[in-house]
Amino acid sequence: MANPEAPIPVPNSVWRIEKARLQDLIDALRRQGYTVIGPCIREGAIVYDEIHQISDLPIGWTDEQDGGRYRLKRREDSSFFGYAVGPHSWKRFLHPPVLSLGQARRNGAGFEWIVPSDPPPRYAFLGVRACELHAITILDRVFMGGPYVDPTYQARREGIFLIAVQCAVAGGTCFCASMGTGPKAPPGADLILTELAEAFIVEIGTERGAALMAGIPRAPATEADRVAVEAQLAATARAMGRQMDTTDLPALLYRNLEHPRWEEVAQRCLTCGNCTMVCPTCFCFTVEDVSDLTGTRAERVRRWDSCFTTEFTYTAGRPIRQSAKARYRQWLTHKLASWWEQFGTSGCVGCGRCITWCPVGIDLTEEVAAIRRTDGATPEAERR
Amino acid sequence: MSKAAILEALRQHPFTHDMEEAWKEVLAEMARLQTYPPDALLLREGRAADAFFLIVDGLVAIEMFVPERGTLRLQTVSPGEVVGWSWALPPYRWEFDARALAETTAVVLDAAALRARMSQDCALAAWILSRLLAVVAGRLKATRLQLLDLYAPPERRTP
Amino acid sequence: MIPSPIYTYPWAPTLERFLPAPYPVTGIRRETGDTVTLRLRPPEGRPPAFQPGQFNMLYLFGIGEVPISISGVHPRSGDLEHTVRAVGSVTRALARLRKGDVVGVRGPFGRGWPLEEAKGHDILILAGGIGLAPLRPALQHILAHRSEYEQVVLLYGARTPADLLYPAELERWRGRLDLQVLVTVDRGDEAWRGHIGVVTTLLPLAERLMDLRRAFILMCGPEVMMRVAARELEDRKVPPERIFLSLERNMKCAVGFCGHCQFGPVFICRDGPVFPLGRVRPLLEVREL
Repeated sequence: MANPEAPIPVPNSVWRIEKARLQDLIDALRRQGYTVIGPCIREGAIVYDEIHQISDLPIGWTDEQDGGRYRLKRREDSSFFGYAVGPHSWKRFLHPPVLSLGQARRNGAGFEWIVPSDPPPRYAFLGVRACELHAITILDRVFMGGPYVDPTYQARREGIFLIAVQCAVAGGTCFCASMGTGPKAPPGADLILTELAEAFIVEIGTERGAALMAGIPRAPATEADRVAVEAQLAATARAMGRQMDTTDLPALLYRNLEHPRWEEVAQRCLTCGNCTMVCPTCFCFTVEDVSDLTGTRAERVRRWDSCFTTEFTYTAGRPIRQSAKARYRQWLTHKLASWWEQFGTSGCVGCGRCITWCPVGIDLTEEVAAIRRTDGATPEAERR
Repeated sequence: MSKAAILEALRQHPFTHDMEEAWKEVLAEMARLQTYPPDALLLREGRAADAFFLIVDGLVAIEMFVPERGTLRLQTVSPGEVVGWSWALPPYRWEFDARALAETTAVVLDAAALRARMSQDCALAAWILSRLLAVVAGRLKATRLQLLDLYAPPERRTP
Repeated sequence: MIPSPIYTYPWAPTLERFLPAPYPVTGIRRETGDTVTLRLRPPEGRPPAFQPGQFNMLYLFGIGEVPISISGVHPRSGDLEHTVRAVGSVTRALARLRKGDVVGVRGPFGRGWPLEEAKGHDILILAGGIGLAPLRPALQHILAHRSEYEQVVLLYGARTPADLLYPAELERWRGRLDLQVLVTVDRGDEAWRGHIGVVTTLLPLAERLMDLRRAFILMCGPEVMMRVAARELEDRKVPPERIFLSLERNMKCAVGFCGHCQFGPVFICRDGPVFPLGRVRPLLEVREL
């Protein structure tokens, strides 16, 4: 099977490698100076962290997900990627949860800034799912597609090596199929892996991906391989745990801003913000200026924030969005409606994390369906 | 001659400008043009509401005297607006004071005569009362907005 | 000679641009009990050009940042003016500053008033409370280019006579023959012999001075005031594309990233703070948006 004299890999060519060769990929990336991030198990969940060996991966594990529920379970085989997505998303590496923007130092009556000058890390992401590739593209538009560019995001994003994995397992809360974001990987990744029983099928996405594959023992993929990949994608698409009817969704939500369903979901919502933390596209942050005890230095720190907090909309005296209803409505309508006007796509990629990690299991696909069923309903208090 | 001046004032004033010409003439018969010097009262709380004022020029303040606080000015009425609607409903009594803040000219209609005419002429009554309702509604809306105290600093807002 | 602001400062996407530059306070004028106007000197000695209606993020060492509209340019020095009302921790600290203290400034940000588009038209300026602050540079610009505009009327409402901003300037404006100024208060005092009532009650008077349907209307004040005024202007058939309002929301970054200032789909910091009414009309009707 190993045949280094096989034809040279070029973008769009498809290859077959032994599963153990994944280690070669990781090693080659590390030799080029990349920090390889991939899935691994920490405290009962599959998260993204630095990996060195393929044994760091959750081989032989799968997850069971539902509203407010996440459990790991052993599989009967030794699949490397036989699970859906966990509470981490790749945004934590591109848009860090905590970031120092600089330190102000007193300088007479004024101050000057000391700006952190460490070079940005060079990441290789191993195991990026289709929905996650879409999420990264969405964040690209948020942070680099407008009149201003976020330098932190840009520095980390440029030069990222992306190894996608096409899902063989559809999670209990997944609905990428109805969002049009998977399970087939969109273009953009350097390499696209599909795991079969005994091998990985590798599609070359870019010149960089081709260059990396050039040193890996491989064989050209066969027709049977291609058929197996398509079959697996189709099976995954059919097995989605949830689905979302996206027909005219922004218009539906915009005309139902006073729908009684918002009050109903608000009764359950704890405004804990878990959904915004785990969502791969939520990007809101706050900026804090904290001075040290001597009062001579003040650090400016950026950290993730959530529209669910009461302080989020604090304006000249009090929050604009006081009620849980207003805050839940903001999150959902931003994600599924306003995002279109702002960035040209939906903000949701159908990964289902918000459903899984909501402590009370609020399911946005269910909320949207309920509003759609009773489109135009008015709250009790306003009737009669 | 002064009737002509009154008629012209009725033609210009937003309250009556699109009224039937015949009615304008009726009104002109029961009206006079009055100029009030600064600080003169147009009407006084408790007195009989015997006039309806169309303000042509100047500025009028609606006031009330409150013991220990003195005379409090609540709102002002500008040229183009009207003062007084208590003349149109029993007990035909003024509830507030109205004072000219600057030299003010008004078309002053005799309320008794107007009421008598309105009781005979339903169409005129409907016309005037609907306009009056709009005035009251606008004044009430403005008053409610005033009550909101929108410019109050956060700590003094209620709530 | 009031220097006229000309072009928007281009924003360089480097990390330093997200950090405030130190501007010394060259003057403070107490406007009312809780409001001051700060004069700030840009370090290079030349004001970064801004458009009336734009704002800066003002930073106090170790305390934080707030968005404050640029409320003018000081005529002699060219220093930037910001009128600040003490309503929170940062603004309270800003209101206590002294000459020589240093304020961090980054900006200018946002979309300003449509002064180019409004050339050749009547202008109605409707200001409520501290809403006069972001309108003041617009009026300064109009007066500095007076022949480019037609009739100009200012309607200004404040809580009480003691809360009137820029009283000396108001008097100067009132004295001009090419500008009509109508002032009202929600509550008068013993000496006050002017209008008493909410500022929208002055609209019928403005109607007598100009054809509102052909005018450009620039408004800023409490959102309720603007909502009510918008409706009254619509009743008078003023086209919404000629009515502009300035909105405010909580801001952290001022460049459309932090998400705090969203109002429906618009980012107040980047798509505003000045909006044509058509853009935000339906949003104003939704509660707690």
